[in-house]
Amino acid sequence: MTNAVEVSGLTREYIMGGQPLQVLRGVDLSIEHGEIVCVMGPSGSGKSTLLNIVGGLDRPTAGAVVVEGEDLAVMDDERLAVYRRRQVGFVFQSFNLIPTMTARRNVELPLLFAGASAAERGERAAAALESVGLGARIDHRPTELSGGEQQRVAIARAVVGEPAIMLADEPTGNLDTTTGGEILALIREMNAAGRTFLITTHDRAVAESVADRIVHIVDGAIERIEQGGTS
Amino acid sequence: MRFRDLAYLVVSNLARMKLRLVLTSLGVVIGTSAIVLMLSLGIGLQRNITAELGQIGAATHINVMGGVFGPGMNEPKPLDDRAIREMESLEHVDAVMPAVSVTNIGDVSYKRYTTFLMVQGVPMEPFQRLGYEIEAGRLPRNDKEILLGAAVPASFAAGFGPQGAVGGSPTPDLIGKRLDVTFFEYPSDTADPMAMPTESTRRLTVVGLLAPSDMQTDQSAFVTLEAALEFNGVTQRRATYESVIVKVDLPASVADVEKVLTDQGYYTFSARSIQQSLNATFLIVQAVLGALGAIAMLVAALGIANTMTMSIYERTREIGIMKAVGASNRQIKRVFLGEAAIIGVLGGSGGLLFSISGAALANLFVASMIEAQTSGAGGGATQSSFFHIPPSLALFAIAFAAGVGLLSGVLPAMRAANLDPLTALRHE
Ligand SMILES: Nc1ncnc2c1ncn2[C@@H]1O[C@H](COP(=O)(O)OP(=O)(O)OP(=O)(O)O)[C@@H](O)[C@H]1O
Ligand SMILES: [Mg+2]
Repeated sequence: MTNAVEVSGLTREYIMGGQPLQVLRGVDLSIEHGEIVCVMGPSGSGKSTLLNIVGGLDRPTAGAVVVEGEDLAVMDDERLAVYRRRQVGFVFQSFNLIPTMTARRNVELPLLFAGASAAERGERAAAALESVGLGARIDHRPTELSGGEQQRVAIARAVVGEPAIMLADEPTGNLDTTTGGEILALIREMNAAGRTFLITTHDRAVAESVADRIVHIVDGAIERIEQGGTS
Repeated sequence: MRFRDLAYLVVSNLARMKLRLVLTSLGVVIGTSAIVLMLSLGIGLQRNITAELGQIGAATHINVMGGVFGPGMNEPKPLDDRAIREMESLEHVDAVMPAVSVTNIGDVSYKRYTTFLMVQGVPMEPFQRLGYEIEAGRLPRNDKEILLGAAVPASFAAGFGPQGAVGGSPTPDLIGKRLDVTFFEYPSDTADPMAMPTESTRRLTVVGLLAPSDMQTDQSAFVTLEAALEFNGVTQRRATYESVIVKVDLPASVADVEKVLTDQGYYTFSARSIQQSLNATFLIVQAVLGALGAIAMLVAALGIANTMTMSIYERTREIGIMKAVGASNRQIKRVFLGEAAIIGVLGGSGGLLFSISGAALANLFVASMIEAQTSGAGGGATQSSFFHIPPSLALFAIAFAAGVGLLSGVLPAMRAANLDPLTALRHE
């Protein structure tokens, strides 16, 4: 059986002032279905870059990324957008909700671009918001919600399209410990229902509370992989 | 993405920038108005002027008057029989008909009907060749016979003229009937300006009725040239005519022949040359409106492009979010193209409303001007609308404005579509 994510020889270079800057240098990583993998490392080590490449928001300089058997390298921009729509759910540190839209509209957005009918969208968005415990806040705008609630909306938006993998970049980075803990509990709950997660953090406690495996990255290369404390 | 959802995104985005939306579409309003007014003027003129000019005369006729007096003008060139023979020999000229109007004519009455008539003396042979058709009866043969224009019997019935008290009577059938025509004769050998004219009455038999043609002909009556000269007290040998009608072979020859005649010192006018000079005048109006419209549209297009660029810059992060949740470049492009097109449509609709009411006002104004100038002159047949906006023009205006909006949105929309999602997400 194939893995959810298969990363091999992944390199990402930026050209800075004429000089190549190696942000990722030959990363190999596979993520199984139903697994939570946390990427840990100091600031600037390339965690977000790895996540963005797996999510199809960024492209590798070299190496292969295969998600659910699909090779991202051969996709043009249009196909990559379809890939993000079908296979990926993003959760960001700063929530990234559209401020003028209600929670429901925000959650519906991926389905809207996928061409789902209004009825189907409404139903699925309501169900997703229900599943993150926001059934009562469905018509609230982001400014009317707390940080934790906004992140729940973002998680609902990520999960509503039933993606193969959830990518969370410092999902608790903007939240206090208690609220962050609630978000992590939600992630565990979804994982228990079968969702696969790739999460970045530089907080060891976060990683230990959810991860099946913790991948330590230093300077764009995997230093070691540690089996997590859960499961 | 479904069309409904695209429309929803477009409309809700625009709803967020109402003031900017209004200001931006104002440019389109002005541009569309100028262009619609220009085109509607062209359409209105084409529809009406041609019809109106039909009343002045046929498309192949040139009216020639003797030369014009005045400072700097040449001696008037006499319109006599020699001049007519010269004209007849010109290229493209089919016929030349001199006309002598009977100047000293008063009331014309038949039984209790009375009217006032313009009576023209014309030679009957060229008269026929000019293309006038006889509806009933025949042409006059001597100075006791008269041919009536198509509208004359009705003018008896309508009770025109000083004693017109029997308006509303049924139109009399006048063929074969005798008309009493009053003539005035001013004593020519007295220096007294207040001298009263002597009146005399002649009986003329109506021998024919013309088919309707132009307005002037319809309201005239015709006698032989000899009769008219006699009524006026002139002998034919010394006759100079105040006007002649030259018929040319084709409407297209009118301009050439008119030029030859003007060069010879005659004053001419024709339905065709009037139409041309009117067209020239209105062409200037249209050109000004067109230039105004083009400039306004160009400025409006720049305004739309500017507004779109600004709003895309402000929404950079949102574009990043949409891309992260799966919007394709094409979908992003459509959203912004849609916004630009809607700005165009709104401006176009505004411009259309503005020009419809502007055109109505202008038509009303022109109509009242014409009425003021022609009041009391009878006729009053002018029902012209100078600006005419058919549904096809309205549709075109909206589509055109939408097109301008769409085009102005192309570059900003492409920029939005091609934004790197990560750069966009980092934007604050
Ligand atoms: N667009 C870019 N141009 C040049 N360098 C970049 C660009 N994006 C990222 N980098 C560099 O790549 C390196 C890795 O960045 P990345 O965001 O992946 O780090 P990170 O591990 O997520 O750090 P943090 O924990 O602070 O989020 C950094 O040194 C960063 O400066
Ligand atoms: Mg990061």
